[in-house]
Amino acid sequence: MKDLQIEEQGRYIYCVAKGSEKTSLGKIGLENSMVYAIPSNGLLAIVHDCEQKPYDSKDEEKVKQWIKQHENVIEKALQKFETVIPLSFDVIIKGKEPGKEVVNWLQAEKERLERSLEKVKGKQEFGVQIIWDSAEIGEKLSEDKEKIKNLVKEMQKVPRGKAYFIKQKIKKELKQEMEKLADQKFKQFYSKVKEQCSEVKVDKNKKAGCEEMLMNLSCLVEKDKVSQLGKELDEINKLKGFSVRFTGPWPPYSFVT
Amino acid sequence: MEPTREKNATLVDVLDRALNKGLLINADLIISVADIPLIGINLKAAIAGMETMLEYGMMQDWDEALRAIAREKRAKAPEKEKIIMPVGEKNEQRTVSLLRDK
Repeated sequence: MKDLQIEEQGRYIYCVAKGSEKTSLGKIGLENSMVYAIPSNGLLAIVHDCEQKPYDSKDEEKVKQWIKQHENVIEKALQKFETVIPLSFDVIIKGKEPGKEVVNWLQAEKERLERSLEKVKGKQEFGVQIIWDSAEIGEKLSEDKEKIKNLVKEMQKVPRGKAYFIKQKIKKELKQEMEKLADQKFKQFYSKVKEQCSEVKVDKNKKAGCEEMLMNLSCLVEKDKVSQLGKELDEINKLKGFSVRFTGPWPPYSFVT
Repeated sequence: MEPTREKNATLVDVLDRALNKGLLINADLIISVADIPLIGINLKAAIAGMETMLEYGMMQDWDEALRAIAREKRAKAPEKEKIIMPVGEKNEQRTVSLLRDK
């Protein structure tokens, strides 16, 4: 870093918590920078001082490292302050006196920040992803659905040319059945999960080879409900063709915007 | 089941959350690069949200995590001959050959 005066340096913000002391969390920040709390009126911004430019690199490994450190600071803050509002990666407050800007921001947003803190208090975020094995589900459907079963039988008897058309029919039929099932299962699983959560966000599904994601949820859960949620997910995980990815606890990234 | 935070298996979850979620601040106050606030241009290019991540490289993380789950589940279930494969593009070839063999 150049010879910037401390007042002139930007402030990288990790999270916001309740408190009033200008405490230090040690050199745990991005690239081992010193992390500390800026207090204002009952709220704390957890920051480190940095140049007034974003963290940016073409080196993916380096970026991943930064993000892990970002997450780590928020974890440490969670342990220390119990409830935090995590910020997105790479939020840096600029200005002539960034330290003051942080204080001003905490003051200006006080009400909204306190509301967010109240909402996530005593709760944790979890990721719930339900994956379905479309091969296995497709196979099961083709055994269960009379119409498809008959088409398969028919196809096996006819010559290749005609079989091609029947195969197209089977595919279309199977696709419809799978969509119907996906819809139905989504509703069923969603309501099971929702019962154990204070709030649920539906995230975009992600694809991964043959195993398709049926649903991708972020769940805000009270601490004493986590084991019950785990039990519900166990039931889903036992179903043939379905598997569950249960991750967390995460800082409440999905519930503070 | 217990939630996992196992580092290798959940890296994508961490990246997804820290990059695409979390509180943002009014753009006047923060550093920005050419209309892309928060995340610099190179970073955007390297990790442009999950879509790109999944397409390039990061896909493997997901694949590995998901396959591990599937493997584990399959290991418990008895082996069985597949009759019909799904409709997805990737399995198209297999569908055809399996059906023809019958």
